[in-house]
Amino acid sequence: MSGTAGIFAGLKILELGAGAAGPVATRYFADQGATVVRVESGVRPDFLRLLHFRPGDPHGLNGGPMFVLMNPNKLSVSVNLSTPEGISVVERLVRWADVVSENFSPRAMAKWGLSYQRLRELRPDLVMVSSCLFGQTGPQRMYPGFGGQGSAIAGFNHLAGWPDREAIGPAGTITDSLSPRYVALLIAAALFQRERTGEGQFIDVSQIETGVYSLSEAIVRASARGEVMTRRGNHAEDAAPHAIYPCAGADRWIAIAVFSDEEWRALCAALAAPALAADPRFASLAGRLAHEEDLDAAIAAATRAHEPYALMTRLQAAGVEAGVVQTCADLLQDPQLAHRGHFVRLRHRHLGELSFEHYGIRFSDSPRRMETPGPDLGEHNLRVLGSVGYGEEEIRSLVAAGVLA
Amino acid sequence: MLDGIRILDLSEEPGFLAGKILGDLGADVVKLEPPGGDRFGRRGPYLGEIADPERSLRWLALNTSKRGVTLALGTPRGRELFGQLAARADVVLETAAPGAMEALGVGWEALRAERPRLIWCSLTPFGRTGPYAGFRAHDLVLVAMGGNAALTGDPDRAPVRCTLPTAYYAAGPDAAAGIAMALYARERSGRGQLVDVSMQECQLATLVTAPGSYSLNPQLRGRTGARLGGTREIWRAKDGDVTFGLRGGAARIPSLIATVEWMTEEGMAPAWMREMDWKSYNHNLLSAEEIARLEAAFSAFFATRTRRELFEQALVRRIMLAPCNDAREILEQPQLRSRELFTMLEYPELGARIEHPDFFAKASRDRIGIRRRAPRVGEHNAEVFGELGIGADALRELASQGAI
Repeated sequence: MSGTAGIFAGLKILELGAGAAGPVATRYFADQGATVVRVESGVRPDFLRLLHFRPGDPHGLNGGPMFVLMNPNKLSVSVNLSTPEGISVVERLVRWADVVSENFSPRAMAKWGLSYQRLRELRPDLVMVSSCLFGQTGPQRMYPGFGGQGSAIAGFNHLAGWPDREAIGPAGTITDSLSPRYVALLIAAALFQRERTGEGQFIDVSQIETGVYSLSEAIVRASARGEVMTRRGNHAEDAAPHAIYPCAGADRWIAIAVFSDEEWRALCAALAAPALAADPRFASLAGRLAHEEDLDAAIAAATRAHEPYALMTRLQAAGVEAGVVQTCADLLQDPQLAHRGHFVRLRHRHLGELSFEHYGIRFSDSPRRMETPGPDLGEHNLRVLGSVGYGEEEIRSLVAAGVLA
Repeated sequence: MLDGIRILDLSEEPGFLAGKILGDLGADVVKLEPPGGDRFGRRGPYLGEIADPERSLRWLALNTSKRGVTLALGTPRGRELFGQLAARADVVLETAAPGAMEALGVGWEALRAERPRLIWCSLTPFGRTGPYAGFRAHDLVLVAMGGNAALTGDPDRAPVRCTLPTAYYAAGPDAAAGIAMALYARERSGRGQLVDVSMQECQLATLVTAPGSYSLNPQLRGRTGARLGGTREIWRAKDGDVTFGLRGGAARIPSLIATVEWMTEEGMAPAWMREMDWKSYNHNLLSAEEIARLEAAFSAFFATRTRRELFEQALVRRIMLAPCNDAREILEQPQLRSRELFTMLEYPELGARIEHPDFFAKASRDRIGIRRRAPRVGEHNAEVFGELGIGADALRELASQGAI
């Protein structure tokens, strides 16, 4: 990296909300140098601060690993939004901010008098994004779901799993990780537009709609030919073998995908399986698809004794797409992720050392940073409020009055 | 939002979505295909079951808002044309194997020297450099290597993926975001830069910090099928599956109370369930027996109702329960309909009208949404090469040379 500062050095983002879908989006900017201030409160804590919480936890709301891991490089101010003084603190922060990103349910911001119409009066060129589950409008906008519900409504669960069993959905409630990508994209595009025009804008994002848009292929196939796609294990329409096969070791697996007959011959050779290569049923893609059950059994018999990484390397060298099913332990030791500097170890004052993650984008001229773990609740009250004109005395009295709480 | 930005999109299937997003946001995206069209990207299923690359539904779904030209990068004249197009472009988006563009003499370094404002986004399975940079991978291998497959599926079977390529759906918006960020940076620095996106690395965000949690507490979570973190997440209704969770802290409690109230009205809440102190409910403190007992009671109730009945009451009673929709149900979903998520595109030469999910975001300043249907093979050759000053005769000659 030849540059000296991240792309968003000097940019100020105010974040209100909770969970994963909102806060992950601002990570893109925090890692590229933006100052991101989370407005949160101990009165109604972020549920990620509570997710693994048990009464008597020594670090209370500040010891939740998921929160800590998801919010590095950010500052936290604690503001009780049910007090008028709390609202005026937020208003002052809005005047300071370039961007407001929030993911409360639709009525919350308006209830506090913090609608875009109001905030724009405070900061005319503000870029504001609201990203709740179902969007700001429509008859079901107040529906109270988590990402698990969003992924199901958007169609991912129906498409993942085995045809003879219930829908399961890709691990990690996928709309929780999809929608932040789109929110980050839209904030960046709106900031680019602001650079060109001087104007900000408000953007309404529905987390569920990011999922449906991603699944455009399924929607188009349904609309054009009445097809209802469904889960089919690991099989594909255009490749065989295309599945995950057992390897030596406990719960060790390898993914293998063969699209062409050339790759098929290379796979047979690399597995030293001349009988497979000679089997006329498997000579063409159509034949392999027609006899997929026998094919999978034969491949599994050939992979079962192999150490997964050695087999992956051998197959890739032969031109066959193959990859180990990596666990979290494997990812932490993955040489490719290490090469890209994906994980960064930071010490958290309560939890000790743990591995923080960068996203998947690298800029040739703009260095990213990983400096501080997710903040304690209200850790930066003095610093942030001080920077928008509050004196120390004033801040102390706001704390005493339960406004900064 | 990206009006006036010219993007040359050389990508194969893994990059279709990234280019579509940029086009839907207003950029002028020119899609480059080899002469005759992108055979793999235009594969079936086909509209009307007629095997014709112009009828590929995958292509039509994921290449909206792009103009299309054909270009043979393998020919000297094709490379020359690419250079001319790149000279007018703000962004190149490509999914070639690392080193492949360089081998043709049209890589990032070569073009950057002449055009310092050019942004180059390279979307590859593992990134442009590193020990796995030369590995090949489509979706299945990416979800395996990126950590999602290990956590998806049932404990008694192999890990499993989604039937559509979620690895591309994760990397597409990330690549588009990287490009938008590089455009913002260029407004200030005057210089373009390389945006190197690894699809494997983009997968890790789907794990929502699981590797970091493992680094703190090294216990591997396996595949738990329809369960999540020890409690059931997917349940059988009368006619299919629904999601409903027992975890999530205080935010989940009102939903659980509302469910128990409904079950009480229907005479399906056992006495112990009605008498539980739900206000102090904490899923972290439940024993295995308590979880089993709760799950049995909820399961018995959900099995007596259809998904529609359950969701209707979920909306009224504010219960965190949702149906596992299929594509036809999504097309009829009232909330999505009321927000006009879907847009009908006309395909007159195919005699078809197809509904697409439009670009969903609603912006107060800029119009966002699909600009045009996906291009036919070489549909805009005359238009786009015409912008370079190439006339009809010269075009015919290029075609006869196999350059376009």
